[in-house]
Amino acid sequence: MKDDMILLHEIERYLEGEMSEAERIAFDELRRTNPIIDQQVAEHQLLLQQLEQFGNRKNLQAKMDAIHNNLDIPQLRNQAQAENQLAKRLTIRRRTITNLAAAACIALVTSLSTIAVMQHEAKKKSTAQYEDVRRVLNNIQRSQNVLINDFNNKRRAPANPGTYGGTGFAVSGNGYIVTNCHVVAGADSVYVLNNKGEAYKAVSVFEDISSDLAILKIADSSFKGQPLPYSLKSQNLKLGEEVFTLGFPRDEVVYGKGYISAKTGFNGDTTAYQVSIPVNPGNSGAPLLDSKGEVVGIVTGKQTTSDGIAFAVKSAHLKHLLDEMPKDKQVRKDLSHKNHLEGLNRVDQIKKLEEFVYMIKVYN
Amino acid sequence: MKQHQDITKDRELLLGLAKGEDKSLEIIYSENFPVVLRMILQHNGSEDDAKDIFQEAIIILYEKVQNDDFSLSSRLKTFLYSVCRHLWLKKAQRNYNMYSLSQDLEEIIPATEEVEAHQAKDQEFRIMESALQNMGQPCQTILEDYYLHKKSMQEIAEKFGYTNAENAKNQKYKCLMRLKKLFFDKYKTL
Repeated sequence: MKDDMILLHEIERYLEGEMSEAERIAFDELRRTNPIIDQQVAEHQLLLQQLEQFGNRKNLQAKMDAIHNNLDIPQLRNQAQAENQLAKRLTIRRRTITNLAAAACIALVTSLSTIAVMQHEAKKKSTAQYEDVRRVLNNIQRSQNVLINDFNNKRRAPANPGTYGGTGFAVSGNGYIVTNCHVVAGADSVYVLNNKGEAYKAVSVFEDISSDLAILKIADSSFKGQPLPYSLKSQNLKLGEEVFTLGFPRDEVVYGKGYISAKTGFNGDTTAYQVSIPVNPGNSGAPLLDSKGEVVGIVTGKQTTSDGIAFAVKSAHLKHLLDEMPKDKQVRKDLSHKNHLEGLNRVDQIKKLEEFVYMIKVYN
Repeated sequence: MKQHQDITKDRELLLGLAKGEDKSLEIIYSENFPVVLRMILQHNGSEDDAKDIFQEAIIILYEKVQNDDFSLSSRLKTFLYSVCRHLWLKKAQRNYNMYSLSQDLEEIIPATEEVEAHQAKDQEFRIMESALQNMGQPCQTILEDYYLHKKSMQEIAEKFGYTNAENAKNQKYKCLMRLKKLFFDKYKTL
């Protein structure tokens, strides 16, 4: 115990440099030869160092406490809390605004799209049931040869098969033809083809969109008129009366037979009949005739929702239309003369009729 | 430019802190404490928490400026703030049931190195503190007076009523031996 204290005293003197030169050399020698003493010195050094650090830190802490006590803590706290609350409120407000904006956008998009869908549906409902029966002529292909041949034979229509096709029939001996307005709508040029394969250029002279009728006039000088074998019936037909039609749903004239199934047309249109007759694209503008061979209507379209229901504008309306046409374009009143088809059988009727039914080709 | 000036000012403050100038410490303390207080309050801490955390951060800073190779790479404010955030995050994790951790505190804060280096030193400090406290009076006071407050043996002898400085010195050595034992018992198990 006593020895330890003396040793400690010596170590302290050694570390603090209080030893004389001779003593220090002796002590160094002692450290070198005695590892226990060397370790004691190192430990003592470490202890003092730790003690000093401890003291420094204590000192620092005391100073800081003093500074801290000088600060106006309640005031700082209030300030901090106020700032925090402000920041919080801003965050909440920003979040609310973002959410509201998102909700509003969704609501807007939803309602707009609902309206759009509803309107589209409503529109589709009525148009979907009615279909024009003009023919889209994209299935006919012609070779280059035909195009060259075309120059030599002016009687034929241009090689281009045309974009749309329909049917028309003569309403006068001098080249007036009636067809559907939708057949010639937007046309650059119109050609009519008869059953002999002769083509004539035609121009639309009158169009009545409401009843979907158009009057064409053959503009070719080579056309020779001939008297019509049929007449236009001005009285309405009765329900169930038998009718037939000739049209061009394909490049060949096609005969169809049916009966009047209602006295009004699509959506209760009183200027038209509902006809139960096979109708295909290309039949637009085809004449509807009764068993005596009198023209009673013009086929315009069909109902898509059920098969075999077609619509035809009444001949009385056509007559009315012809009367209303401007004087300079006046159609000769050929249609009021006597009907030559009465009493003939159907085959002979068709034979005579064929010449006056034209295929309409439209280029645009 | 402004930031550059700020860093220059911060360097001066740190130099003062390293030399133990009270004025520098006071400026650093009073300028940065409000920000830390606000941050701790925001994350469910109390004023006392803020004080503890902030003082610990200053101690870390103090230990760092004692090393000659320390240079400040960011602004002093940023350094203290991120160290405090880190310390508070650690504390909140320790008392996980006590505080609910807010999301934005959990982000990675680049102060891990500083805090971990500090922790070893902190442990040494605790050992020394408990060793001194366990020694009892008057040993603790004699050692503190001699080694920390740099009082002479004569003064100590008078204060504690020893007949002469030599007696006081012997008493001091006895105390030092006890402290040594208490300190190294724990220090070696570290």
